[in-house]
Amino acid sequence: MKLPTPPAVRTAENNSPPRMKTVTRRLKFESELDLSFGEHVAERAYGQKLLSCIQCGTCSATCPLSHYMDYTPRKIIAMTREGFKEEVLNSLTIWLCASCYACTVQCPREIHITDVMYALKREAIARKFYPARNPIPVLAKAFFERVRHDGRNTESRLLITLYLRTNPFKMLKEALLGFHLFRTGRLSLKREKIKGMKELRNMIDSVEPRKEAVPL
Amino acid sequence: MPETNGHDAPRVGFYVCHCGHNIAGTVDVAEVARFAGTLPNVVVSRDYKYMCSDPGQELIITDIREHKLNRIVVASCSPLLHEHTFRVATEKGGLNPYFFQMVNIREDVSWVCSDHDAATNKTLDLVRAAVRRVAHHRSLATKHVRIHPDVLIVGAGISGIHAALTLANAGKKVTLVEREPTIGGHMAMFDKTFPTLDCAACILTPKMSAVKNHPNITLWSYSEVTEVSGFVGSYTVKVKRKPRFVSEELCVGCMECIDACVYKEGKTPDEFNQGLSKRKPVYIPFPQATPQVVLIDPDTCIEFKSGRCKKTCVEKCDRDAIDFTQKEEIKEIQVGTIILATGFKTFDPKRIPYYGYGKYPNVYSSLEVERLVNASGPTGGDLVLRDGRHPKTVGIIHCVGSRDRKTNRWCSRTCCMYSLKLAHLLKEHSEAEVYNFYIDIRAAGKAYEEFYDKLLEENIHFIRGRVAEVTDWSARPEEEGKLIIRVEDTLIGVVRRVPVDMVVLAVGMEPQADSQDVRRMFNISCSTEGFFLERHPKLAPVDTFTDGIFIAGACQGPKDIPDSVAQAGAAAAQALALIDAGEVELEPNTAYIVEEDCSGCKSCLNICPYTAITRDEIRQKAVINEALCKGCGTCVATCPSGAIRQNLFEDDQIYSEIEGLLQDKESVLTGGGAWRAPA
Repeated sequence: MKLPTPPAVRTAENNSPPRMKTVTRRLKFESELDLSFGEHVAERAYGQKLLSCIQCGTCSATCPLSHYMDYTPRKIIAMTREGFKEEVLNSLTIWLCASCYACTVQCPREIHITDVMYALKREAIARKFYPARNPIPVLAKAFFERVRHDGRNTESRLLITLYLRTNPFKMLKEALLGFHLFRTGRLSLKREKIKGMKELRNMIDSVEPRKEAVPL
Repeated sequence: MPETNGHDAPRVGFYVCHCGHNIAGTVDVAEVARFAGTLPNVVVSRDYKYMCSDPGQELIITDIREHKLNRIVVASCSPLLHEHTFRVATEKGGLNPYFFQMVNIREDVSWVCSDHDAATNKTLDLVRAAVRRVAHHRSLATKHVRIHPDVLIVGAGISGIHAALTLANAGKKVTLVEREPTIGGHMAMFDKTFPTLDCAACILTPKMSAVKNHPNITLWSYSEVTEVSGFVGSYTVKVKRKPRFVSEELCVGCMECIDACVYKEGKTPDEFNQGLSKRKPVYIPFPQATPQVVLIDPDTCIEFKSGRCKKTCVEKCDRDAIDFTQKEEIKEIQVGTIILATGFKTFDPKRIPYYGYGKYPNVYSSLEVERLVNASGPTGGDLVLRDGRHPKTVGIIHCVGSRDRKTNRWCSRTCCMYSLKLAHLLKEHSEAEVYNFYIDIRAAGKAYEEFYDKLLEENIHFIRGRVAEVTDWSARPEEEGKLIIRVEDTLIGVVRRVPVDMVVLAVGMEPQADSQDVRRMFNISCSTEGFFLERHPKLAPVDTFTDGIFIAGACQGPKDIPDSVAQAGAAAAQALALIDAGEVELEPNTAYIVEEDCSGCKSCLNICPYTAITRDEIRQKAVINEALCKGCGTCVATCPSGAIRQNLFEDDQIYSEIEGLLQDKESVLTGGGAWRAPA
């Protein structure tokens, strides 16, 4: 005789029986935190007063990408303030931020959250807190190198650098699209350059000292 | 206009009010007016949109004149709201105001009935009853009582002090009674005050000395009210003046006797410093105590215990102020009004054992910390813990005893703000890392939110979550020797263990331990939690249900200093309004004795809740003090010979009302049938 199978709890989307979740420790010891992290980040985000955050959640609610983030922007600020350095720098949130500035516009405490996100990204890059092939920091870096070198961004060269550094196979996949863009004059292989490169470099050096973010 | 004496044939004017949709939406008012017009004696019957409006009242006045009405019935809202309005209209029409009867068809009918027919039928019964009753109304005279201009204020914290100064500045004589040896209350213990951070003593002590020096204020410190009798305008109060064993007139507060005491060091926990220091048997609570007079504690003084002390204090005092023979005195005063400003007590954190108060020496109550950071406190403002260390990390736990069904359900309103203030002061005094553990931050007050904002930017930690426990059990080497606070950081979503050197418990505010006794003595009410009950939570916040007794400050509910002062000012203004009016009008619904029927049996004497009845021993009859009588009717029902009657509640009035109510319910009157109470 066949025994009846016990009814499994099933969700609407997923018709398979639920799996047991992994048990992880969620207790936080104070010694695992870096209490100076909040101030350190605030200094690097143009002195942003993220300490004055009242945790209202406006940033998370306005953010068009917050529903894909592992921690919402509000949580990122709470964690930064309380010194959850590892979690913040490892989070997907800072890379998903598309710099649309919606949070910054609406924040009742006038915290420039987008700048905080940039500061966190710089911190994460400096401390190599990102997967090697994460295209976002690579793109940012390559873009800056191009502009610093030529004064202009040659898109074809930027794309090639990006693909070579992240996923060379993808370049082959996108080759046809690249060809069409080239044929219609949207993508030029010719290196674009400005005349006063020396002056531009002086300007860049004066606003962006080459030290980058100092590792903690 | 002829003044009717009540013996003419009744000519009743009846008015039913729509009260917008409040009544007319449920009760068929046109039918009510038509029905009333058919009742005996009714000459005029109308319905009108708003009877309380000026045109509504004018309707009554003109009808009285044109139709020679001598009785008025209005069916509208509760008499609490507009009985006075319509009595005045009746009087303006030329009648005695008590030829008026009101029917409440809003609170009693339309607001509580959903069935329109049942509501209308109930209204008809009530109207018939009132029309019947009003025919038996009599002309009554409004009574007036003179108000004694002096005021008693009980409690000399900031509320009592402010009320006393306001009244005294208005030229009224005030007796200010304080239980403790000094005035100043809790505020005198505080270090700084939020949100401006000005020093509590700096703003309070000038007011304290103003009280002491004001010619219109009699200050009785170390005294307690023991008995209150009388009524609005004329209260007799007995005050017990406890012996200080030091003459208030002679002592100048030089404190040399304290140095001279045979005790080299203090042995008794100092009440003013929350037990954080020790005092001698002869002491003064704090340097700016008012009155600046020392006192001797007979429980610890050797002279009182054995009678064999060298009495070095007496030798030292060159003014001979010390008097071991001083006795308790009972003083009796006459006042017209009383303001109660008896304050609060702080929640005893021992009631929450998992916060470790009393178990771990470095767990403090917030009031202790106020003393600890105070420059005139036990450590001179040096933040040194009970074990002699200086804290490097401090955790402040909010809502201790508040917002908890197991202790006190209410929010104590002040703890968020004083915790923020203490966080600032602790950081300032010690450079420590300061954590606040809160459920919600309630910073509702002028410049309070801005203060919170400032604190956030001072890099003080705010962890949202109610602390589960404070323990010294360490899970890791770095936690050893620390107190561990276990809490969920609900904003981040993780449970945290925060090791600290010092824990501050932000204890809530509670009614004084003896608030029920005080309530009974002054014949006022308490709300369920034990704070004194105001007459109306919004519109009469300082009045009580006893005329002439007002409340101010935290005895009415948790309050911070600005609110206490504002309320004290309001209470003083209410007392002034009574005093300056000179007399009060009393409702004439009092009981009276029909002397020829009174047998002098004394049945009524003890049952009167207001002690308004005495016995004239010569004539052997009961006597009712009309000013004391509240018209409760207890004596009327008790009197075995029916010798006590009550104005506005005469037997004929009540019986005719009942008959009117039951007229078409003959079955009830005959004891049969299936009559059901009106919906």
